[in-house]
Amino acid sequence: MATNQTVGGRDPLTTRVDGSRVRSDLQSALLGARNRDGGWGYAPGRHSRIEPTCWAELALGHSQGRPPDVDPIRAWKRQDDWLVDVPGAPPNMAFNALAALTFLQERSTAPLAQPLISRLIQAKGLRYWQSPALGQDNSIQAWPWVDGTASWVEPTAWCLLLLKKVRSQSPRPEAAERIRVGEQFLFDRVCRDGGWNYGNPEVYGQKLWPYVPTTALALLAMQDHRGHPVVIQSLRQLQNDVASERSVVAVALTVVCLRTYGVATAALEQTAIELSAEADPGNLLGTAMMLYALTDTRDHAAFRF
Amino acid sequence: MSGDTARASLSRRDFITTVSFSLLAGACGRRFDPQRFHVPQSSAVGLFPASSYAVDFADLIFRGFQELGTTLTGRRVFLKPNMVEYELDTVINTHPHVVAGAAIACRRAGAAEVVVGEGPGHRRDMEYLLSSTGLHDQLREQRIRFVDLNHDDVAVVPLQSWFTGLQELALPVTLLDSDFVISLPKLKTHHWAGMTCSMKNLFGTVPGAVYGWPKNPLHVHGIANSILDLTATIRPHFAIVDAVIAMEGDGPIMGRPRSLGFVAMGSDPVAVDATCARVIGLDPDKIEYLQPAAEFLGVVDASRIEHRGESPDRYVTRFDVVPALEHLRLSR
Repeated sequence: MATNQTVGGRDPLTTRVDGSRVRSDLQSALLGARNRDGGWGYAPGRHSRIEPTCWAELALGHSQGRPPDVDPIRAWKRQDDWLVDVPGAPPNMAFNALAALTFLQERSTAPLAQPLISRLIQAKGLRYWQSPALGQDNSIQAWPWVDGTASWVEPTAWCLLLLKKVRSQSPRPEAAERIRVGEQFLFDRVCRDGGWNYGNPEVYGQKLWPYVPTTALALLAMQDHRGHPVVIQSLRQLQNDVASERSVVAVALTVVCLRTYGVATAALEQTAIELSAEADPGNLLGTAMMLYALTDTRDHAAFRF
Repeated sequence: MSGDTARASLSRRDFITTVSFSLLAGACGRRFDPQRFHVPQSSAVGLFPASSYAVDFADLIFRGFQELGTTLTGRRVFLKPNMVEYELDTVINTHPHVVAGAAIACRRAGAAEVVVGEGPGHRRDMEYLLSSTGLHDQLREQRIRFVDLNHDDVAVVPLQSWFTGLQELALPVTLLDSDFVISLPKLKTHHWAGMTCSMKNLFGTVPGAVYGWPKNPLHVHGIANSILDLTATIRPHFAIVDAVIAMEGDGPIMGRPRSLGFVAMGSDPVAVDATCARVIGLDPDKIEYLQPAAEFLGVVDASRIEHRGESPDRYVTRFDVVPALEHLRLSR
């Protein structure tokens, strides 16, 4: 099967996989899939997009012991200060937050993040009527994926992470209220047994399942509340759920998250290495995330505040 | 479906993007341009028995193509199953045997290329969904290409109707570049839309990497409106519905499995959806998106639907729905 996203590509594993070889393979795969404009698509040969480009730059920068090369992102198409993937389509707030975090990795490029941060501070999701079907507070206006829509966990986690990172480096008073609302939203949307779904914790009284990637992201955004019962419960939920995960994106994000929380990740990293050896070379987002997770030498500084 | 012959020589992307007057018509407050659509006098819908997922779906669906007079010679077929979430012992997704069977049947029917693609609205992690549902193995075995529509390249195209008020939408190029789109849903009740079938299934073509997870602009502009605009723009050529084990109650995720034992097929997705609605005890005239669909997209009127295979009466089953949807039931 040829796919843009998932192929079981390599030989079945019969022995412990060599981590350094896997890292080298991931790095080569990324370098080989770089587009002429300097960016990366979600799959080789596809148009460059913000998200895989940021992850690839973060991963390659760390794996080569240098700051990320932000030139491709600096030159990205813009629309009212927002970076846009597709002219005519709305700017994606989660990916703009990721781009700002990438700029913030180096003092010299940090000013490039400022217009995006200003935009994201102003942005908020729609305020919704209270639905009896949803056990949640629809008045909380955190962050949507795109303007004119409701707030969701993933874009809120990215924007919260960014604003907290900014707060730790050079505080912006106007960000404080947005951080408060973002945290309120994540506490409101946590699933009953901990962890986060992409959006609602329940519908019509039935609890929805937490996902590994969204839980890892939300926990990264809430790393300054590690003593909070919701965070403790969600961290436990993440550790349970990741045990059965076979997705490189989910495992990579969990490695980054757990390391940030000071949880031992040696066994999970070995799983990550084995998954990477089997993984689809056409999944460039997963490749970049995994390279970042496995080779970061500065303890995942991009997402630590 | 009308216009198929004229469209055959154009890629879907060319066809959609060259209809420039659509923007003008939309600006004039019309919901659709009647000259762009043709509702047939009658449409054929086939219901073919499948008692379990152990049957030979390639054979069943190929026979369905023959019975309905569907030819795929030289076509680049795009198969759009319904994949949303995975949880053991649930029936959220189109069964992988049905997906693989449909792909093999398309090849037997002469398709030049068959691609399967989906952009789940909840689970962003396609790798997880493909492996956990078993679809990955099915497709690999048959050497069938899968495209994650959430992360595919996109092109912005003008919408061909204007129920949402949106003028254009970014859609995946793999979908737009195909010339025969088959919607391949799981039949489910849906706690917001009433029912998931071949039309609602098109939500999965909207790219998450552009619009997010879920595809929230579609909700903000009205689920029914979005279903209509997507169907009018994508114009699926055919529908194959997995109603072997369907979902009732609090669908599309948390509902309960309900055996029905058939696969529904037809070239008019509106007629297919209307038939499936009647089978599960819902009145298509009360389903918000089917009523307007009858004006320009296809046939809802039961007297104008010709049945092939088994009679729908054989399968009629009163499905549970959430209390908010009780008003959708067929009058007795």
